[in-house]
Amino acid sequence: MVTIKDEIIGKEFLEMAFDRCIKCSTCKYGYKSYDKTCPSGEHFLFESYWASGKIRTIRGLLLGDLEWSEDILDPIFACTTCGACSDSCQAPHADYIVDMIEALRELAVKNIGPAKNQKLLISRCNENFNPYGDKNSTNEDLKREYNLPEKAEYVYFIGCTSNYRQQSLRDSSLRFLKRAGINFTLIDERCCTSPLIRTGQISLTNEYMNYNIAAIKNAGATKVITSCAGCYRTMKKDFKKFGADYGFEVLHTMELVKQLLDEDKIEFKSEFKYTVTYHDPCHLGRHMGIYELPREIYKKIPGLKLVEMKRNRNFAWCCGAGGGVKIGYPEWAVDISKERLEEASETGASIITSTCPFCKTNLSDARDKYDFDFLILDLMEILDTIEFDIKQN
Amino acid sequence: MTSIKERNIYENISKEDVKAQLESIFGKPNVTEKQVDLYPYSYDMTESNPHMPDFIVIPENESQLVELVKFCNKNIIPIVPYISGNNVGGLTIPEQGGIIVDFGKKMNKILHVDDEMMYALLEPGVTFGQLEKHLEENFPHLRYSYPFAPPYAGVVGNAILSGMNNLSCKLGSMGDSINGLEVITADGNITRIGSCFYGKKEADVKSWWSRYPMPDLMGLFINWQGMTGLVSKCAVQLWPKPNFKKTYLAVTFGLTDVASVLREAGRTEVVDDISAVSIEVVKMTVELPEPKKYANEPDFAALLVISATSNKHLEAKKEILEKTIESLNEEGKNIVLADVDEFSKLFSLRVRCYLDLPAALLSLVEYSGLTWFGSYAPSHKLEELIQKVDTIFHKHDIPSFIYMKSMKSSHYSIFRPIMRYKKFTEGEEERYHTCLEEITDTCIDLGCIPYKTPTWMTEKLRKKINPGWLGLFEKVKNCLDPNNIFNPGRWNT
Repeated sequence: MVTIKDEIIGKEFLEMAFDRCIKCSTCKYGYKSYDKTCPSGEHFLFESYWASGKIRTIRGLLLGDLEWSEDILDPIFACTTCGACSDSCQAPHADYIVDMIEALRELAVKNIGPAKNQKLLISRCNENFNPYGDKNSTNEDLKREYNLPEKAEYVYFIGCTSNYRQQSLRDSSLRFLKRAGINFTLIDERCCTSPLIRTGQISLTNEYMNYNIAAIKNAGATKVITSCAGCYRTMKKDFKKFGADYGFEVLHTMELVKQLLDEDKIEFKSEFKYTVTYHDPCHLGRHMGIYELPREIYKKIPGLKLVEMKRNRNFAWCCGAGGGVKIGYPEWAVDISKERLEEASETGASIITSTCPFCKTNLSDARDKYDFDFLILDLMEILDTIEFDIKQN
Repeated sequence: MTSIKERNIYENISKEDVKAQLESIFGKPNVTEKQVDLYPYSYDMTESNPHMPDFIVIPENESQLVELVKFCNKNIIPIVPYISGNNVGGLTIPEQGGIIVDFGKKMNKILHVDDEMMYALLEPGVTFGQLEKHLEENFPHLRYSYPFAPPYAGVVGNAILSGMNNLSCKLGSMGDSINGLEVITADGNITRIGSCFYGKKEADVKSWWSRYPMPDLMGLFINWQGMTGLVSKCAVQLWPKPNFKKTYLAVTFGLTDVASVLREAGRTEVVDDISAVSIEVVKMTVELPEPKKYANEPDFAALLVISATSNKHLEAKKEILEKTIESLNEEGKNIVLADVDEFSKLFSLRVRCYLDLPAALLSLVEYSGLTWFGSYAPSHKLEELIQKVDTIFHKHDIPSFIYMKSMKSSHYSIFRPIMRYKKFTEGEEERYHTCLEEITDTCIDLGCIPYKTPTWMTEKLRKKINPGWLGLFEKVKNCLDPNNIFNPGRWNT
């Protein structure tokens, strides 16, 4: 058995790669649905690009059968870490396949660095605290615009994609929270570290996590709301993995919406007369097991007709943006989304909706590149068009 | 274990020229020589010796394969066919390097399903899961049969290597269900065998309906582990799917009582499939990883599947089967027959996978290694086999994992001791291999014939086989593959 240094965060997952996986190929396609679910394997085809092949790469590198070279970058990094393999695999390590891939990436970054443009994620964060490289927004302007207090029960953690690329989603969320009477504020955020962890670049992770936790606590908040599936997954799963003790409740905006509906605190009053299909974000679906909750909300919106794509829930085809693919392999990322849009075309829907700004970005890029005629809207953007009553219970 | 013969495949041509030629045949994205891409193809779940291929290619059609075969034959470069690589015998490990032809990625089309004559014409990469889905969606009244293996095992590989499935008690070896083959031989010719043999060009998709009565050339390719040619199409029989089905669980007390269940229930001719496993395997299924058997526990559990076209038909079959078990108990056996549909509700979905093949079965996918002695066995020796193999398992402190089937109305049986192990834990592979070798020697001595055999096992077989057979075998191999390019090293060629 090989010795793996204790400082490797993913050590236990690298060790697991030696005790599990006979390469039975069950990870390659939807279990019992037999649908294609792995963007990486379907595109590059060779075994090294499927989950079981990546597990063999871990073994090869740690056993010294494989050398660290430029050749190994694509099989390691050209993967959206969407987790479809985890849902298909029926072996005891199924739930940890994404952890294994991220551990492999951590090891790869230590030895030869990440793939192509993925290094930019770190350098941009170093300069501006966000992976897009835009000038850091302290969010003070937004606080003034929305008349938000310094301290509040909730912090709305906007997330970098919403704040720098999908402002409509951000603003819709802010308006919803105000309209719903939520006592919330904003903080001067740093990247939640999702893109850094996903690409194995973890040098800033603990610093950023601790900074955000302290800022949230300084705002007096006991609850954090985010409309970003990536931030949500990172806070709820990765903070613990990296030992960051956060001690507050984390909610996705849709969970808050559902809570308000269930408690009869809001009631939708106007209609949204469109046929809509829901794209399951990997970071909410396969990574966190949330499939029905958003659907229950859509079904409560008057006039909205929800239709399903052929591949949905745990075997939904990934949008192609995650796992560093959007920055590392931008053209391929958009092609993955194209396949999703083609599938959506079969449903008769005119709107594709999701609950993740990163999915929205990539689906929109594919729509624009390939001339699809869809509106792509986040749940919060749909809710922004709907009147609702606030009820006092 | 046998040592691997090193072979310089670049005696006649440089590696660069091989690469250029492969890229011109298959297109650049479908050829790789990167170590990281080759590595997953270099070993399998068993303890068979690993060996790196030199290239992987992903074909799309026969004409590419013809070009490849001609090129490799001229330059004496090994070709190893690959579907998903999850056989239990090192069959796709390129023992002498060369080119792995990965059929699983693009040559995986279901070319035709003939409803009238009940067969499916398949490319080599079609998997059981794929075929099941296609039939379910398009021909729900037809069925194929599915193995005790993950859903992505290849249908054609299973058939041409005489695997068995969940209709084996009716049908016997899956090799018998092949209607026709299209094969590319070493000279680059495309040969069609079976009723599809008429015509000088492409065969009509409706012409793949029978294997006989012409001389059975199919035998030149079935069970040869890819040593005589590349199969590029295969027609397999399908069967009507009855509407009524019942599965029984027979639990046997007394180490060898299960043998008579296999034999006697099999010969009633009412059972589709009988598969029996040691009680330790049942425990693995309910997620006890390293189970032991305790006193007074049953020794084996067998699933017996019957199907029928009407309820009356089913009731008649049930009566026959139940009476057969009653008779065995009257003779002194200790067998409890239960309704598995009710019994399985006690357990998780994972357990019910056994009733819904093809499925990934926990007992097989638990660790990083899996190996076996998979064999056809003489039914009258089952008691002796069970006793001796169970003793060997216990001697090595390895959970007894015996899997058996009754084949073709009990004309013969499958006897398959299996071992799961942690492949990379120091000493484990050697420990399990020692146990497996002992089992292998014992079973071969009792007349078992292993299938999908690793080379160390064929080496043992060769010492026992009559010289006439070996001579003919070598002559056929040399005649069909004079340059030994097709999966060289298999059967110690």
